[in-house]
Amino acid sequence: MRRRPAAPGEGVPNLAPMVDVIMVLLVFFLLGTSLELVAQGALQTELDPRSGPGAGVRVDIHPQIRIALTDWNDGAGARIALLDEPLPDNDFEALHRLLLERRRAGADPANALVIGAETTVRWRYVVRAMDAAVRAGFTNVQFAVSFRPAP
Amino acid sequence: MNRPPRPVPMTLNLAPMVDVMMCLIIFFLLAAKMVAAEHYPVALPWAVAAKTVEPGDLGTRVTITVRPAGAGEAAETAEYVVADWDGQQIVERVLRPEDVEALLAARAARAAHDSQKLRCVIRADERVRYEHVEVVLRGCGLAQISDIVFTVNQGADPREPG
Repeated sequence: MRRRPAAPGEGVPNLAPMVDVIMVLLVFFLLGTSLELVAQGALQTELDPRSGPGAGVRVDIHPQIRIALTDWNDGAGARIALLDEPLPDNDFEALHRLLLERRRAGADPANALVIGAETTVRWRYVVRAMDAAVRAGFTNVQFAVSFRPAP
Repeated sequence: MNRPPRPVPMTLNLAPMVDVMMCLIIFFLLAAKMVAAEHYPVALPWAVAAKTVEPGDLGTRVTITVRPAGAGEAAETAEYVVADWDGQQIVERVLRPEDVEALLAARAARAAHDSQKLRCVIRADERVRYEHVEVVLRGCGLAQISDIVFTVNQGADPREPG
């Protein structure tokens, strides 16, 4: 018995279901790469360009405004000092109000505002101090970094 | 008598399309893995002034996650986590503090070689001490990476009154 010759198009696998599945995977990974950062934000700072390289290099910054944070009760809080004047209630909102007053009094927002924190202060309090400064309009917030061996 | 021609089935050649889509899938698969690797779960601090960031806005970057090494609130020690390529897959690499400077110096040198401006993204857990974040800041200073971005949660801290 003679076999019927295959018609054109016969014997070609049907790729349509595969394309469907690949499309779904593509959309899944496309969204997966873009959804992660939705709830997160960023605070930006710049280190003094004169810093580094070389652990022996010391940079003296003369900031217009200096915020000092010291540890309180083993990480339970932070004591705040603005230009060496301790804030009575150690409240970051009070710090924000004081910084805002300085801005309204004519402080240049582009001048360096340096946050110096004791090494044991929790990171959340350092960020709150930075947040208070940025909200008050200061754009050049920097951090005092001690050049010493890593802990 | 002339017979009518046999109907010829019309089929699209989907093979090139499948090829392209496969390439796209592999690209997004790796990109998703990299995004996930840059988002190790840590308790980020809150900041009202935080700006929304898109991954593309950050450009060439090295992302370092600083998280407590032990369990509990008292973060006496911290570990530094970066996403790295081990030749086969993206892996979580935990660095010691003294390795952070070397990593940043190497990445800065590579970025300088490629004429790119490198940015350091620091994702620090809110419980770690400032000295742990200072390690990364110091490394950035030594590697002359001046552009630093701290990743935080946007908005007011829900635990704070008012």
